[in-house]
Parts: sequence; structure tokens; C-alpha cells
Amino acid sequence: MVDSSSKPYPLLNSDREQSERTAPSAAERELSELFDELRIPLLRYLLGFPLPPHDSEDVIQEAFLSLFQQMRRGSSIQSPRGWLFRAVHHLALKRRLRSRKDLESAATLLTAETSLVDSGLNPEDELLFHRTRARLDAVVRALPEQHRWCLYLRAEGLRYREIGEILNISLGAVCGCLQRSLALISRAVQR
Amino acid sequence: MPHEFHLSDRELLMLADGELPPREAARAETHLAACWECRTRKQELETAISEFVRFQRSSFKSTTPADGPKALLRARVAQQADIHSHSGLLFFLGPKLGWAALLLILISGLTPLIWRQIVPERPLQPVPSTVPNPSLTPGATVLLSQPALCREFNVNNKFVPVALQKKVFAEYGIRGAEPGAYEIDYLITPALGGADDIHNLWPESNRMALWNAHVKDALEDRLRAMVCGGQLDLHVAQRDISTNWIEAYKKYFHTDRPLHGNQQSGRNRF
Repeated sequence: MVDSSSKPYPLLNSDREQSERTAPSAAERELSELFDELRIPLLRYLLGFPLPPHDSEDVIQEAFLSLFQQMRRGSSIQSPRGWLFRAVHHLALKRRLRSRKDLESAATLLTAETSLVDSGLNPEDELLFHRTRARLDAVVRALPEQHRWCLYLRAEGLRYREIGEILNISLGAVCGCLQRSLALISRAVQR
Repeated sequence: MPHEFHLSDRELLMLADGELPPREAARAETHLAACWECRTRKQELETAISEFVRFQRSSFKSTTPADGPKALLRARVAQQADIHSHSGLLFFLGPKLGWAALLLILISGLTPLIWRQIVPERPLQPVPSTVPNPSLTPGATVLLSQPALCREFNVNNKFVPVALQKKVFAEYGIRGAEPGAYEIDYLITPALGGADDIHNLWPESNRMALWNAHVKDALEDRLRAMVCGGQLDLHVAQRDISTNWIEAYKKYFHTDRPLHGNQQSGRNRF
């Protein structure tokens, strides 16, 4: 009987040797930092598709792995953040095409969004918050996809130029999408 | 100052987003300083932006902790780096030496295969372990909130397909184990939001008299009851069980030894 409770991870010998051999490289460290910084913003962006949650995590893993391969090849990436958002966007589109479960995913989004809310407000403010939220949800859901993607990308702090590159549209189109979306949101908030 | 013009919605948005060229931005700011109407419109725009951001952020208040996905990425990156270093050797050696090296690799790879055909295979004696190898099984979860998780009634572990079981055994270097010696178990049980992913599966030895699969089952039941009873945060439960389930057992059962280690669970026996 082996009681390993005193050692949290009793690695097999070969595993121990492997872990000693493979100290994280500079690329791995950089990747790890980027993952800490961008995983949540990328997951939030994927709410705009929407994908089932586990698919979103998969897409992000794939994007980071692709970035790692690029870094290993010595490719020059000006903005890893923009690169990752672009990769995630394309991978999510591919994933969605493959699964063809948009409607099902939309239902998942609704459930996830409504179930995660815990605003910590008093009952009156809570009611107001939920009403505004429901209206915003309806507005955002009804937006054309490109408008929604622009909004989510801008909310993550991307510049118009970066958004245009990710979605392959002009700066004017980015501005137009944001303008129309925000006008609808503004109306929903004031109602 | 007379308002011979007003700022368009587009100009207001670009100004708010810092996207106007400096000269136009300066002109717009001067106009705003004097025009209450445009300032009100800009205020409405800012309110719409902040409401949207609040809406988006509140949709995402609770998420899976990054530990699991990060560990998974680290493992996959290490795997990639390993493959890269092997294929990079051929590139480094040049075409002629590269081919020679490839031939050597092929020979060294084929020899054990041929040898196995001649000499009957003996079962390996794998090192029994009570906790998984974190580089192979860091744990993986699905994004699920606590209420959504607790609404699920059917929380039994799903049957792991035989092909996937074989993969897990291969990863852990286990060959020819006796029937019933191992149980392919979820590190983070689906009852706590664990994913059907190879990175969340490991061969748990049934040989362990003390810290065995049945003890872990008891811990999983306890954690789920605590999570659904509002006594424990879901993410804390996921983190604790994936970090070291034995330590988690000691923590949540307030004991240094398993209380009930002899219940039969009978899932995914090999």
C-alpha cells in the first residue's frame, strides 16, 4: 500500500525526469502570462457567438496553441492580443459551422446569462437591474452578428483598426456597427 | 458661441472612443464645451456604453477558475514542444544526416515491435498511484454555474468509451493490467462540473487499501452536497479536488484516514 498523502503528486520516475528536462521556455512563460490576461476577455467575446461553454474553452485552447506554434517558428506578431482575438473569431466560426447548433447554443447562452447574475443590490434596484438586463439581452440578441461582434470586441478594449482586421471590414463599417448598436441600446435603457 | 452645426452621432462616438484625428477631436471638444445639446447626447452615449459593459460583465460574473484550463494548456504546449524538438532534429542535421537519423529512428522503433512478436509480452508492473499525474490529468471543467449544476439530477459519471480508456492507460504507460485493477475515474467528477475530457481522466488503482476509488466517491458526494447546500463555492470544490483529492478529503471530512473505504461503486472498471 502506498500512501501518497504526504507528497501531493508522486510522479512516476519518467515523468519526474521529463518535468526536470522541460523547464518552461520564454515562449511558454509569455504564453502563460497572455493566458492569464486574456482568457476571460476571450471567453466574454465568445458570448457574442454564442458557443456552448466547453466549446468556448476548447476554442481558446486551440488559439493559444496556434500562437505558441507561431512563436516557436519565430513569426513576428505585432499584437498578440489582436492575433488571439482574430484566431478565436475564426476558430469559433469554424466550430459553429461544424456543430450547426446555433439555436441550441443560443438557449445555452440565455440560461447561462440569467443564472449567473448575483448583483448584490436591494430588491427595488435588483428588479430595475433585471428589467434593464432583460431589455438589453433582447436588443443584443436581435443585433446582426457583425454588430454584436463589434460591440463585444470594443468592450474588450480593441481599437477600430483591430476590430476591422479581425472581422475583415472597414473602419467605417466598424464605426457604423457600433453607432447603430449603441443607439438601440440607448433606447432600450431609456425606455 | 453660436451653434452653426452639431456633432453627428458618428463624431460623438469616435470622440468618446478616441478615434477622431487630433484636429477634429479638438474642434469637437470646443463645440462640446459650448453646446448643451451635444453634451447631453454624448452623455446618453456614455450611458449606453456603460450599461452594455455592465450587462456583459454581469453575464460573466462567475467563471471556471483558470487553474484547470491553464494546466491543460501547459500540458498541451509541453507536448507540442516535445514533438517540435524531435522534428527539429532532422532539420538541424541537414538532409543526408537527417535521413540517416530517420532510418535509425525507424529501426529503433521497429525493433521492439518485432521483438514483441517473437518474445511473448509480459504485463508491465505499473507503479500504483493514488493521485493522478498533474501533467497528464490537470482536470478540466465545463462552464456551469452552481444553480445550473445543482438542477441536474442525473449526475452519475458517464461511461468512458473503451477507446478513450485505452488512451488513458497508454498515456500512463499501463499495459496488460489485471481486470478490476484500475478504474478510469474523473478527477473532477461531472457532479462537480468536470468535463468528459482525457485531461480529466486517470487510471485510479483499486489496489489501494486506504485511499481508493470508493473513498474518492465519498468525497465527491460530500462536496456536491456542500456546493448545492450553499456551504461551499463550486470553484473552490473543483480546485480542491483537482489539486489533491486526498488532502481535500482530509479537509472536508476532518480526518486523517478515510471513514468509509469499502463501498463498491463499479464504474469503468478495466
